[in-house]
Amino acid sequence: MTKEVFGLSPSRRAVLKGAGAGLLAAGFVAPVWAQSAPIKLGFQLHRTGIGAAYGRWYERTAQAALKVINDGGGINGRPVEILFEDDGTDPKRGAEVVEKLVSQAGCDLVFGPLFSHVVIGTAPRAAELKVPYLVCSEGYHVASGMLNRWTMQPGITDVRAQVSSMAPWVLANLGKKVTMVFPDYAFGHDHRDFFTAAVEAGGGQVIAQVAIPPTETSFTRYMPQIPADTEVLYHVMVGPAVLTFVKELGEFYGSGARPEIFGFIDSLEAVDTASPGLEFLEGTHFWEGHNRVKQADASDHETAYRAAVGVDDNGASISDAKDVSTYAHMFSVWETLHVIKAGMEASGYQSTADRQKFVEAVEAMTDMPASLAHVQGDKRFNGKTHQVFGHQFISKVEGGKLIRAHTTSLEDGMYPDAVDYTTQSF
Amino acid sequence: MKRLAGAFMLLPGAAFACALPPSVILTLPTGHYITGAAITVAITAVMGAVADRLPRMNAVEVMERRILLPVSVSSYLSFLCFCGLVLIGVFGARDPMHNLMTLVFWTGVWIVVPIGSVLFGNLWRSINPWTAPVRIMRTLLGRTGTAGLSRFGHWPAVALYAGFAWFQIVSLSPDDPYELAVLAMAYWLVIFVLAVAEGEEWLGQGEFLTVFMGYLAKVAPFWLELSGNRARLMRGWPGTQILAMPPLSVSAMAFITLALAALTFDGLAETFWWQGLIGENPLEPTGRSAVMLVNTFGLIGVWAMTISTIWAVVRAGQIISGKRFAPGPVMLSFLAIAAGYHAAHYFVTLLTVGQYTLAALNDPLFRGDEVLGLPPFYVSFGFLTDSRIMPLIYGVQFAAILGAHILAVLLALRLVGTDTRAAAHLPMTALMVGYTVLGLWLLSTARSG
Repeated sequence: MTKEVFGLSPSRRAVLKGAGAGLLAAGFVAPVWAQSAPIKLGFQLHRTGIGAAYGRWYERTAQAALKVINDGGGINGRPVEILFEDDGTDPKRGAEVVEKLVSQAGCDLVFGPLFSHVVIGTAPRAAELKVPYLVCSEGYHVASGMLNRWTMQPGITDVRAQVSSMAPWVLANLGKKVTMVFPDYAFGHDHRDFFTAAVEAGGGQVIAQVAIPPTETSFTRYMPQIPADTEVLYHVMVGPAVLTFVKELGEFYGSGARPEIFGFIDSLEAVDTASPGLEFLEGTHFWEGHNRVKQADASDHETAYRAAVGVDDNGASISDAKDVSTYAHMFSVWETLHVIKAGMEASGYQSTADRQKFVEAVEAMTDMPASLAHVQGDKRFNGKTHQVFGHQFISKVEGGKLIRAHTTSLEDGMYPDAVDYTTQSF
Repeated sequence: MKRLAGAFMLLPGAAFACALPPSVILTLPTGHYITGAAITVAITAVMGAVADRLPRMNAVEVMERRILLPVSVSSYLSFLCFCGLVLIGVFGARDPMHNLMTLVFWTGVWIVVPIGSVLFGNLWRSINPWTAPVRIMRTLLGRTGTAGLSRFGHWPAVALYAGFAWFQIVSLSPDDPYELAVLAMAYWLVIFVLAVAEGEEWLGQGEFLTVFMGYLAKVAPFWLELSGNRARLMRGWPGTQILAMPPLSVSAMAFITLALAALTFDGLAETFWWQGLIGENPLEPTGRSAVMLVNTFGLIGVWAMTISTIWAVVRAGQIISGKRFAPGPVMLSFLAIAAGYHAAHYFVTLLTVGQYTLAALNDPLFRGDEVLGLPPFYVSFGFLTDSRIMPLIYGVQFAAILGAHILAVLLALRLVGTDTRAAAHLPMTALMVGYTVLGLWLLSTARSG
């Protein structure tokens, strides 16, 4: 049930042949399992509902990581299974899913959800069940202290660190007078608050904040709110109307002078930046959590990761060049699964009785060097806040492709601890 | 840095970005297309009414042959497949996109069979999983009588379809393989018991899938007429069969209004417009659990509006014409709209989730088999943001909606009769134009799903 989803297509086999030598070697050595029961991991999957586009790629990444881990000998010498359960991207179902995976299916832990409202609605149930709950949501809710001892985010940097770490480079390279355009709800507000604070701390100035109602699908009438002396336009528009937004922004500025433009790739995650209609974005910059276009200096691990997930050098599915992956985020699933392996092996995890030991083992983690387990790059885990910190990337659209212009340091995204979960009881 | 920390102390958790793909359709001038379609429907109606010349719709026999695969056999095989699906639903993968129960029901039974029936006649008749089991059980029991269920007309199907529509559009987890399998099995048993008591013919008015598929198939340009062990393949303009139907009973009319309302609300519930109306953020809706009550009222409300609008239009037509023509025949013209909208509405689902179904049928145990002979493949949604393909998909939907409404207008004219004053057709024409605009708007507006 949890084996390779749809197997390998011939083209994928070909790609795999060229993959990293370590991965290849692991693939040739078929693991010989002792008579041990598999480790069962529950995956809370946004298969339906608003998160389905991400869910499809998260599942694909999880399957690829699972294969790598099983080919490499599993966890503690035991084979690993993943049980996928759909939560409909709904917080109530999320709690039910964790309950089912733990109480009925007997999973050792649960991981994988990304949507914040689902994570926030589910985490309390995980704590009640005393089951490790590893989220891939990039929300600040983990490090803010609003969740619990059992909930951790070891696979992806949170949005506070992502946004704050952008400010120094933007101010030094693009301009100091910033206008922000964002959707008027929590996601946009986080960008507004975190980035404004970081800009002010860095000596810049946010001269206008243009909040756009989430139900809006045409933006022409908001464009005049962008002050003429804007040096940097920061945009985080998301949803079905993004193409319309870019088109209308292009019409607003025409062929005349425009400010520097900086956005978050969340706007165009899973969308080809070379699509017709996005020409206006040429020469603008984007935050990326992981460079979807394979960069010239890509590591062997990165190459092996792309091959394993079935993603080409442009970040699209190897079977369909138009099917761009959620590349900036989905590495979190891969890395989280590898953290699970490391945590279980460090704690000598044997059964569900060792769940607490597992959490303590992850809390004890600090530096995570770049490797096949950490394909996005090296990271530092903060055991007190249960949050990992990684490098962020700023890319420029050149010829329709996102080419990396800057890599932040780990310190760029760090902030004082808001919580020490290790002092809380289990 | 300290100042920064202070600013962040009270901030709640960050919300994750919206996951909806950007819509190519939103960048198209769909307003012009919709206007054009509305004008086309209106002109068709006016010309039809004024010119008093409507296309002939005659049934023509294509061929006659022996029945090759009796319904008893195909229905029994279908029943066995159904049992297999229930077992897969209960014991198989929990991921709905890897479970044939969910995939075969929602893409096969609910999309492929209806669209197939609209094009090629009543496919459901052959694969109805009750016909053969009911026939066998009645034979074993030696039962030939009825239990009097027929006196309820189509009302049982109306009630069951209403429950199904709620399950599909409103309930928390209609895709969950286990819940779907258990519900399907329970539903099959209830219908089985009732049909054994009443006779298999009752399925055609009491079981909602049989009624629904049967109605959609009335639009088909091809159909089979069965008598004894002979089958005659017929052809005719879409809608030809509708003209030959007896007027609809009140319960059958209720069923058609429900079908229209369910399809409408299924589309409406995901629009930004509806999300805004019920106070949900369309870029990050809470999920079904938060909107079950309001969407329940929404579904009922849309049904009530559908009934009252159609009733008012028919009544207005009667008043203008001075004739008390029965509403039953005119209601038949709405079958075309239901058929066209069903095809257009689920077309994209067929192209997306249908890939999972194909993959699962090809490799049912997910171990690399190639049962259908297809090489293993990745499910691929790249076309959803392709600015060349999406306009083509919208074009197909546009054609289905426009074609259905032109057909509905022509059928309405034929069914009311052209001896009526031309002005008497105005209310119905206005409604058809309104439905065209609504259907195309639902397919082109911003949606959160």
